[in-house]
Amino acid sequence: MSTQVSRRNAQQRVGHTLMWIAILLVTLIALYPFLWAIITSFKPQRDALESSLIPWVQFDPIMDNWKAELQTGGQENFNALKNSGIIALGATAVALTLGTSAGYGLARFRFRIGNRNLVSWFLSQRFLPPVATLIPFFLMLQRLDLFDTRLGMIIVNATFVMPFAVLITRDFFADLPKDLEEAALVDGASHRQVFLRVALPIAGPAIVAAGIICFTFAWNEFLFASVLTVRDAQPFTVKISSTGTVRGIHFGYVSTRLLMAVLPPLILSLFVQRYIVRGLTMGAVKG
Amino acid sequence: MTIKNRAGLWFVIPGIIWVLCFTLFPLLYSLALSFTDKRMGRRNRPGEWIGVQNYSDIFADNRVSEVLEMTLFVIIGGVLVTIVLGTFIAWLFNHDIPGLRAFRAILTLPIFAAPIALGQLGMILFNEQSGPVNHLITGLGGEPVYWLTEPWAARFAVLIVDAWQWTPFVFIIVLAAMQSIPDELYEAARLDTANAWTLFRRITLPLIAPALGTITMLRMVETFKILDIPYTLTGGGPGVSTQTYSYYIYLTGLRNFDMGYASALAYLLVIVAIIITSIFFWRVRARYEVQ
Amino acid sequence: MKRLIVLILVLALVIPTGSILVTAQGDDPFEGMTPEELFPTAIDDQERQSAMEALLAANLPDARDRFEGQTLTIGVLASGTRGVISGAPYFWRNAFEAVTGAKLEIIEIPFEQMLTTLTVDFSTNQNTYDAIINASWFYGDYISNDWIIPIDDYIGAEGYPMWEPEKVAAPLQQLLKWGDSWYGVVNDGDTQMFYYRRDILEDPEWQAAYEEETGEPMPVPPQTWQQMLKVAQFFNGKDWNGDGDPDDGVSLHLKVGGQGFFHYMALSAPFSITPAEGGDPTAVTKYDNIYWFDPDDMTPVINSPGHVAALEFLQQLAATGSPSQFGWELGEAWDNFLNGNAVMLYSWGDVGSLAQDPNASTIKGKLGGSRILCSEDWYDRETGEFVHNAENSNCVGNLVGASWHGVISSASDVPDLAYYFLAMQAAPPILFWNVVYGWTGVDPSSTPHLFPPAGEASVDDYVAAGYDAGDVESYITGYGDNLFTFPTSQTYLRIPGTPEYWNILDIRLAEAMIGELSAQEALDEVASEWEDITDDIGRDYLLPIYQESIGYAPSE
Repeated sequence: MSTQVSRRNAQQRVGHTLMWIAILLVTLIALYPFLWAIITSFKPQRDALESSLIPWVQFDPIMDNWKAELQTGGQENFNALKNSGIIALGATAVALTLGTSAGYGLARFRFRIGNRNLVSWFLSQRFLPPVATLIPFFLMLQRLDLFDTRLGMIIVNATFVMPFAVLITRDFFADLPKDLEEAALVDGASHRQVFLRVALPIAGPAIVAAGIICFTFAWNEFLFASVLTVRDAQPFTVKISSTGTVRGIHFGYVSTRLLMAVLPPLILSLFVQRYIVRGLTMGAVKG
Repeated sequence: MTIKNRAGLWFVIPGIIWVLCFTLFPLLYSLALSFTDKRMGRRNRPGEWIGVQNYSDIFADNRVSEVLEMTLFVIIGGVLVTIVLGTFIAWLFNHDIPGLRAFRAILTLPIFAAPIALGQLGMILFNEQSGPVNHLITGLGGEPVYWLTEPWAARFAVLIVDAWQWTPFVFIIVLAAMQSIPDELYEAARLDTANAWTLFRRITLPLIAPALGTITMLRMVETFKILDIPYTLTGGGPGVSTQTYSYYIYLTGLRNFDMGYASALAYLLVIVAIIITSIFFWRVRARYEVQ
Repeated sequence: MKRLIVLILVLALVIPTGSILVTAQGDDPFEGMTPEELFPTAIDDQERQSAMEALLAANLPDARDRFEGQTLTIGVLASGTRGVISGAPYFWRNAFEAVTGAKLEIIEIPFEQMLTTLTVDFSTNQNTYDAIINASWFYGDYISNDWIIPIDDYIGAEGYPMWEPEKVAAPLQQLLKWGDSWYGVVNDGDTQMFYYRRDILEDPEWQAAYEEETGEPMPVPPQTWQQMLKVAQFFNGKDWNGDGDPDDGVSLHLKVGGQGFFHYMALSAPFSITPAEGGDPTAVTKYDNIYWFDPDDMTPVINSPGHVAALEFLQQLAATGSPSQFGWELGEAWDNFLNGNAVMLYSWGDVGSLAQDPNASTIKGKLGGSRILCSEDWYDRETGEFVHNAENSNCVGNLVGASWHGVISSASDVPDLAYYFLAMQAAPPILFWNVVYGWTGVDPSSTPHLFPPAGEASVDDYVAAGYDAGDVESYITGYGDNLFTFPTSQTYLRIPGTPEYWNILDIRLAEAMIGELSAQEALDEVASEWEDITDDIGRDYLLPIYQESIGYAPSE
């Protein structure tokens, strides 16, 4: 009996070791591209063409690429980053305001048109190929005098990220016990008051989760921004799309810029990790 | 309609109006465009009504069949690879091993990176002389792969970057689905067999199947739209081998300014997307009604 | 008495000097500005000082009373504050703002998005840009839509910086004009020339080895494509730079979207173009000087036997370089040559100036340049036969590339200011400064940049800016020959839809280069897709524009 247990333990240990190896490998694959970009951003072009990996030993790290992007081109880059930030935050704010309210409505009320249909309809906005609506959007923003403005880009992005906000908050509210809200209604509060004072204050996790996802998608959006902005509202994704110019690829600059583009949402995501998992799984697992 | 419902309307109507305002007009406008010969920047093509000409042109367009190959490759390949890998990683993480949480956080990082930047990152990684991918291959004794030069290699490069970004998404969702499976089920099954694969096939797989179905749909529709990654990674090349259908619409409408034709191409995609999402929702509804 | 004389003398000296100082304070727009303030993006004193000298030599008219408070918005290729083409406007911005009192806004547009951005902007009347530093292939669309204005009335007008249109090389002048009117102000001059490693080709040991292996003396430098191919085949795979690895014969950039088709254009010209017989070899007839389309009906000639032979030749040539070339954009191909891994390449003037930059190049002092090569074989469309003549090879020049230069938007509300800016960039001392400093990407275009007999510059002018004398002698001589010594030059495609035609050429050429299609299949495919575009845009609409753009008079 005891030998059997110890054999099983040994098996388990081997199994665990294999699993750890697999997990480490997978983690390495997920991280390595970022790591490579970080290293390349400290290399001059000549070294970037070599396979060296260890700074100071295999190559002499330089700050030139970061200096060029943060000092010489700093003003333009910061403007673009600022645009990205404002657009993403603005779009997130709009999407959350309208989306949380809609999510609550869909979780708490029955509509004759069918709640499922409404949810599907919100979600289906995600499925529209953006190229199909690009030109009309352009004409519309121009007519509204919103071409190349942050407000215009906020509107566009809010429209496309709103489905996430609706879905995630709806699922959250649907899972929430109704007791408290019903008690408040009995006490004579209006639906609006119940939503604002009772439901919303405890919806923090869902709102953070939805907010992160909305922010990320808006921050990463490229196609619309490339057509609907030229200068004043140009976000960073459009700015970096032009690194491959007539002079070819300068690996150091490309790495530096792409790091500047991906780091903000990445860092943000690490801070609110537990909401993320929740946000991503809500909706998808339940449909 | 009861009073309660009317109160509910106030919650959903602002969102509905917003979305209607900003999607209905663009959709109707491009539908109208798709029946014209409108071309931006061409005085002799102001946008005359030409009926279904644009739609019938699609079927005679060589390029469409060329780009469909890549499009289907990315959709099918992308969905399969991410689902298999994502499920495997989820299975790894579904074990009771201390310290996994931190790794899970790291694994989610790729989801948050801008695809346009990932295309450029891919350009550096897959560089044929200096990229680490080829260094690894030659280090293991293989021949260097001409990632951006040979059509199929380039297609795989696009697929790999896309899969690298989205496998974590599949992983997170499948893991959540796995974690919602009650332990008792496994314990009962362990009495019959201790084989991990059998357990996975008999218990885990059937129970995560609905989640997998949902992901398949989501991933499919998202890959339909893939454009950013080939845009910066390969520029659609070599030749047109990594041009996807969405990319082709973009080039037609916004490089060549053939608005009418591009709108028709886009509408065809809208129709396909509607069909797929209808199947998706029909499935979802079936599940809910069973419940 | 003596004192009085001294006093008078002193006064006589002081008063005029003082009065000069006083007037200078009132009139000099750069008064009180240090070179550091004027040129914040300069990297060192040498650059600042030489720029300061160029600025003062340009003798710009003070225009503050006319332009004070206005804003000029220009669109330019996106490559950053010290990058190709966009670097120069940034560099001279403060000087321009000081002399005009106006504000300059620079909007960078990514290369791939340039056509999209500009067309959308113009055709929706957004009109963001007053002036655009544009590529020459946009003219067809610009002119047919009246998006830009002619500048004939500005040239030579009082109160603007003076530049020298007549000194621009004649073939390049054609790119700045439409018909008889000037539209563009000179900036960058693009033409592809031939470069080689002087130290290797002139090495007697290599020459002896070549003769031993091939049985004939090495042509130094090669004059024809056929000679170049043999030399490239000889060197390819040999470790001629002594680094332990086999090295390349040529270095080409052939990636789709990486401007590889320009390589094809420069190479194929002498395979497929015949100069006109009679007095003027540049005369355009139905058969002579025709490269793109039949001038009577727009039938593509891109799949004619001469073109197919040229593409097959390019495939052979590419085999004498790294297999990765098919994934290279021009920067990578240049780097390969500049880092000493290829014996030869043909490309734009940039290579000559970049070779002088120790940060970018290891071949300073080893560079040779000559005009683009001729072909011993070519196809005569009139007789329908190939001609082979090794003694009198067929030589055709090219203006392959963008030749980035400024044009003024017809919707601009500050066209005068726009012209002032473009003319300032073209003012001889400033333009020469831009040409000399390789990072600006502004290549030589006019006689003051080139050596006699056609030009006016001297080797010392370049040596003063840090060039190696041997390199620049060879490079600028070759560049000048490229512009002035060819009997005729390839016509530039300037019709509406040019980018669309070229995009197809680019894609199909890349497929031929990687072996997906044969040369014949690829070019047949191009021809058939071109026919589709022509029908789509409208053949009757395009034909007269094409005829006008190449200077063809149809015979009745």
